[in-house]
Formats: sequence, C-alpha cells, structure tokens
Amino acid sequence: MNTTRRTFLAGASAFGAGSLLVGAGTGPFGAAFAQESKPLVFAAAGTVTSSWDPTSHTIAPQITAEMLVFSRLTKCLMTAENPGEILPDLATEWKLIDKYTLEYKLRPGVKFHDGKEFKAEDVKATYEYGCQPSRPASAWYPGQVEVEIVDDYTVRLKTEKFGYPALNFWYVAAFLPVLSAKDVADPSQLKQRPNGTGPFRYQETKGDQIVFKANEAYYDGKPHIDTLLWNYVPDANTRVLGLLNGQYHLTERLEPEQYESLKADANIVTNRGLSSENKYLHFRCNKPPFDDVRVRMAAVHAIDRDQILELMGDAAEASNCHISPVKFGFTDVPNYPKYDPELSQKLLAEAGFPNGQGLPELEYITSVGFYPKTREYGELVTAMLQEQGFPVKLTTLEPAAWEEQIYRRADGQGPGHIIDVGWITGSPEPDLVLRPNYYSKFALINGVNDPEIDASLDKERGAETAEERKKILQEETLPLLAAKVPSLSLFSAVSLRAMSKNLEGAYFYPNGPIDLSKAKLF
Amino acid sequence: MAFAIEFFLRRISQGVVIVILVAFVIFTLLRIVPGDPIRIILGPMASAAALEEKATELGLRDPIYVQFGRFMGQVTTGDFGRSFIRGAQGGSAGGSQDAAGYNPESRASVSGLIANALPYSLQLAALGIAFAFLVAIPIGLGAGLRAGKWPDRLGLYVSSLFVSLPNIWVGVVLIFLLSAKTGWLPAIGYQGFAYTIIPAMVLAIELSPVMIRAISVSVAANLGEVYFDVGLVRGLSRRTMVAKHVLRNAAVPLLNLFGAQMIGMLLGGLFVVEYIFSYPGIGMLTINAVFQRDFPIIQAVAILASAALVAINMLVDFASTTIDRRLKF
Repeated sequence: MNTTRRTFLAGASAFGAGSLLVGAGTGPFGAAFAQESKPLVFAAAGTVTSSWDPTSHTIAPQITAEMLVFSRLTKCLMTAENPGEILPDLATEWKLIDKYTLEYKLRPGVKFHDGKEFKAEDVKATYEYGCQPSRPASAWYPGQVEVEIVDDYTVRLKTEKFGYPALNFWYVAAFLPVLSAKDVADPSQLKQRPNGTGPFRYQETKGDQIVFKANEAYYDGKPHIDTLLWNYVPDANTRVLGLLNGQYHLTERLEPEQYESLKADANIVTNRGLSSENKYLHFRCNKPPFDDVRVRMAAVHAIDRDQILELMGDAAEASNCHISPVKFGFTDVPNYPKYDPELSQKLLAEAGFPNGQGLPELEYITSVGFYPKTREYGELVTAMLQEQGFPVKLTTLEPAAWEEQIYRRADGQGPGHIIDVGWITGSPEPDLVLRPNYYSKFALINGVNDPEIDASLDKERGAETAEERKKILQEETLPLLAAKVPSLSLFSAVSLRAMSKNLEGAYFYPNGPIDLSKAKLF
Repeated sequence: MAFAIEFFLRRISQGVVIVILVAFVIFTLLRIVPGDPIRIILGPMASAAALEEKATELGLRDPIYVQFGRFMGQVTTGDFGRSFIRGAQGGSAGGSQDAAGYNPESRASVSGLIANALPYSLQLAALGIAFAFLVAIPIGLGAGLRAGKWPDRLGLYVSSLFVSLPNIWVGVVLIFLLSAKTGWLPAIGYQGFAYTIIPAMVLAIELSPVMIRAISVSVAANLGEVYFDVGLVRGLSRRTMVAKHVLRNAAVPLLNLFGAQMIGMLLGGLFVVEYIFSYPGIGMLTINAVFQRDFPIIQAVAILASAALVAINMLVDFASTTIDRRLKF
C-alpha cells in the first residue's frame, strides 16, 4: 500500500487522538485524582434514612453517622475484658441517688454546632422526647422518664412514676445522642440536619456522599481530620478495590475472604473486633410445631455449632449465651444446648414426632448479601435438621425481601418457622436485646409468650444494684432462655474492617460506630 | 416526505403500545414479588397499624390496575412521582421509621434523580461505544477484507475472547490492574472525566465482539457480491470499491445490529458496570432502587429505557431506508 500525504495525516491524527485518551490518566485528569487524598474517605456499607432525627429510627448505619456528630452523657467502649466500663462524655460524674433517681453532673463550656451552649435543658428535652412510645427509637429506652433540672449543669433522671429502677439508664445513657432543646422544639429542623456537640459537624449531602467537617469547638480538642467524606458504596468488592487503589481510607463489613487477603497487603491495616451482635435462629413460638418447647430443643440439639463456626472463619466467635460477650451480664451459660442427635431424637419422639414423622414442612428464612455467609451456613443447618427428620425448606432472600419477612404481623403471626437474624445495639445494656426479643409484650420475631421468661426479665430489670442484676441475669434469666430456646444464638459476630496504613488512632465500637476524634491521616 | 410522515406516525403509535405494555408488566411484577415497600419506607419496627395506614394513604393497597391507571395519568403529565426512599438532596437511604413524620414531599423527585444521573450514563455509554468502535472497526474490517487469512482469525480470536469474559470479572480485574496496582487511573465513583475511562473499557469489551463479527461478516458478504467484481472489471480500484460501495452496503445490517442488539446490551452493561464502579449514573440509581424496593424509580427507568429502545430502533430503521431505498419497515 502506498502512503500518500492524506493517508499519513489521517493516521497521524488518529494516533494523536488515541494518545490523548491513553494519556488521560497522567494528564490533567490524573492530577485531579492525585489531589483527593486530603479528606478522609470512608466507604460505608450502609447509609442514613431521610430523617436526621435520632429518635426516628433504629438503623445501624445512621447510628454510626450520629456517633460522629452527637455526644452522649457517657461513653462505653464495650471491651470483652471490661464490658461494664463507663467513661465520661457530656457528663463528668454520675451516681444513683435512690432506686428511682440517677443524677448526672454535666460538662460546662460545651457548645452545639449551631453555637447554642449545652445545658441541663438539652438533656431534659432529649430524654423526655426520645422516650415517648410514639418515637420509633423509644425501643432503646427502658421506659418513659422524667428529667429534673437541678441547676444548669445537674440533671436527675426520675423513673418512679413509670415503675422501674433508674439503674436501667446506667448503660443506656452511653447510647442515647443528646439533642439541642431548641431543635427538639422544632421537629422539622431536627429532621433536616443533625446538630450535636460531637467531634464532627454535618456539612451537606451530595448524592450518595455525606460531608462532615471537624468541629473546631469540640470540647476534647478539634479533630485532626478536617473533612470526612462518607461514601455509600453498597458493593463489598468495590469497597475493597477502592481501598486498594487509595480512593478510600477506611471500609467496613468485609467478607472473611476479603479480610484474609487484605491482611497480606503492606499498605492496608486490618481490624477485627468482636461485635455486640449475636446471630440467632428464631423459632416462631406462637404456631405449631415450635410452640412445643420439646420440638425447639430437638431442633437445637440437632445443630452442630462447631461446624458453623468453622465455616464462618474470622467472621464469628463461639459464645454460649443469648447476649454478646461485650454486654453486661454475659456468661458462658452452663446449660446452653449442645449438639446431641440422640437427645434430639428422644425429644422428637416425646413430642409425638418420632424421627420427625408427622411434622409439617418447615420454612427456614434467611438472607443473602447482608451478613457474611448466611446462605452457606443456612444450607448446613438445613442439612443437619433434615438429618434428624425435620422437613426443612430453606428460603434465601435478598435483604429488602428478607427484612419484610422477619417481624410478626398485625395478627401476631410471621411468615415461615425459623428466621435467621442478628441483633446489634450500641450499649452494654442487655435488655436492649432481651426485652424486644423475649418479653411476651414485644417478642418481635419469635412471638414467645412464657410467663416464666417475663417474670425473670422483670426481676432482673427491677434489681436495685448492678451486682444484684448481674447475678439474676447470669444465674436465672440467661439459663432460663437456654432451657426454653425461643431462639438459638448461633455465635457472636465479629466485625471485619480495613483501612489505609496512613490512618491511625481510629477506635471501633462493637456495634459499628467509629470514633475518629483522635484519628490522624498521614 | 409523505413516506417519512407515514413511517413515523405508524412507528410512534406502535412504540407507545410497546412502552405501555412494558410499563404494565414491570408495574405488576414489582407488586407481586415478595418485599412490601412500606416496610422499607417506614422501617422494620414501625407498628403494623402505622404500616397499613401509610400504605393505604400512599395508594399501595389499591388494586394494581387502579395504581397503574393513576401512575400512567401522572406520567402523561411528565410527572414520574417521588422516590419512596431518597431524600430531597438525592441521598440514597433507607426510609425513615418515623411513620407519623413521613412526608412524601420531603423525598426526591424521580425526574430530578434521573436528570442528575443521565448525563453520567450518557458520557459513559458514548465513551464505551467510541472505545468499542476503536477496537471493532479495524479488526472487523481487516477480518472482512482478508477472509480466511490471519486478520480473519485474529477477529475470531479477539471476539471469542471478549465474549467469554464476564463484565463483572473484567471490571474487577481492570480496577485492580489499572488503578490499584499501577495507580494510572482512578476507578471508583466520579470526580472527573478520568473516572469514566476504565468503566468505558469494560463496556467496550462487552460490545466489541458482536461488532467485530457483524462488520467482518457483512464486509466479507459484500465482497462476494457480483457488483464488487463488476466494479473491478469496470476499472474501479479495490480501495474505491471498498470505501464507496462495500462499506455503505455493509452499514445497513450494522445499523440494524446497533438498534436491535447493541442498545439493549449497552443498557444491561451500564447497570452492571455502574454498580461495580459505584458510578453515579442511571444504572447505579436503578440497582439501588431495586435493592430498596423504590418502585417509582424502577418504573420510570423501565419506561424510559423501553422508550429509548423503541425510538432508537425507529431511527435506525428510518436511516436504513434512506441508505437502501428498497427497504420498507
């Protein structure tokens, strides 16, 4: 082929255009990319609701976001070594005045992000608003409460009128964000933007990104990180790849395999922490056949939890208790059900279903894509139950459909017979798990209605000292739950996270939130 | 002119029927699969009474045909409604659990969300098609012009390789190689044009095999036609015959391919690619909407996608008739 001037020019132009495209990464575009390492970019697996009012939801990702913006009266680090430890936050001292009165001395000189000074009136407004049964997050409160203002920097939580001891706020106070009284008086303002006293202030939301800025007036010193970008990235692989290419500095909810491979990367630091969440198999106790405790016991004796733990790898730890080891009152319950196929057969026969004959088809509902490996261990549990004669059918749903199936409906009944779900709360307070799940008035998922369990839960709630309460929990309530098994706690979940090696000083709470007030990004 | 008017009137009326049918199927399917959106809107702990009251108020408990009629009435006025889930700022979110405080007006308008996301998707699609052309035209032409020789085999091997690579895998590998390992290009999200390059490569890898095969087959077929030999006999050079006659005649099946297959593939590819790359386009918006049971967004995207497919097919058919007057659609 002869090369003419025209063909040469055409070829040269095409080459030039191609070079421009290939060079795009190192040219002006590349420069923009290189500049973005300044703010801390958090690749979050979940995101917030459409209301910034903390009393409007019980959503874990939003609780994580609120941790950045709001302070609480106290702090609980919830370590497995010392789950009951309480540290000061907005309160500097606290003491039980009498059975129904808990007093907090407040920190002076603290300001909300809008400039309002923090005072006793804000605690009163927050607690008396948040505990109203009409508020969705009132589930976190042990009951309604009145707050007496002793002076600008002293408040008293009073519970006598509502019939339960004030000690129930001992740990819960570390979980309830303190709002401004001015905002509580104006709910529309409260919904629009979060206004707290915490280390970061809310700046704006841009699509799937939330921008937080350092609070210069934070009482414990301005954070080193000036800008925190909360990027909602639903896909776990994308979060990991973004961390690997340096676009993200911090990410959460890793799969065990991702965690394992990131451990080998020199530029990444991994973090593995026991969470405040246990994973449960709830039995629908208000319909056959799981309304018979013998059938429930037969089912739990058919499940070999060691095999499940092996499958879960880094994402789980063994625990023989209905609450996580980072909760107040946790103990290794002596009578917690163990794998015992013979006992399973015996109990089935006693209940009138020898070898499972006569049992209806049982639906086991689980999710995929929300927790690690639920489908995999769901298949394992199904096989174990089938081996003992339980005619179990596994239904695996994606999160939105699964969430719709979890809770009991208006008529008290819920779909299926066995439901896989976790329960995570940000306080050592055990009642945040026990009452919603096992007290007959709530029993949100399993529908258990057992006067003995109710009485035991009331007894531990009514204890006058922490020691007395712990004793009742460990020697009566938790063993009773192990004997009645309205649900089986399979294991305690472990949170797997990873961050850039340039990020130092982040503290991870067992329920998900991250304290970045002292963190540095090099 | 009369032909053009008759053509468009006929095809637009057919297209409207197709779009309405697609809308109805999507609308119905969304409402019969498990997953009640009211539980997403108000959250799992909202009381059953509040759930029912709000669902009734939002019209989610009306018979499907009533809901569909109401929806289509809105659509004809250009109103696709408001997202069940996303706030006015467009943030992706779970719904609020505050049943009493729920106000649909505080949620983002679907048209606004789509208008924000569409330019990103169009940019990605355009660059993906451009990359696909850059790869497919030289390889496809070479294969067509040298049938049975090495360029033909190259075309076969390249298209066989590309067609067997799943786009999810290609996306992850390219991010790993071009971004994580080498740092040459950014990959996740969007903060500038450079963020479009790797996703566009993935789209191009998905689109180019079909293009390569179509170009090579079409060109080779035209070379075997009598008119080609006649042209050579009459003294026209091979280059002139290819440039002025073969390429023009080969373009008709290519245009049809573009309308019938490529746009469908492109739309499907965009959904997957945008999700992997957290790219803020229509695909990402739609996938999140599916996960969150955000019906208004899913419906609007389905209607717009089917309308786009119908429109592009119509334009392709019209363009084909102008290239080859013997064709009638």
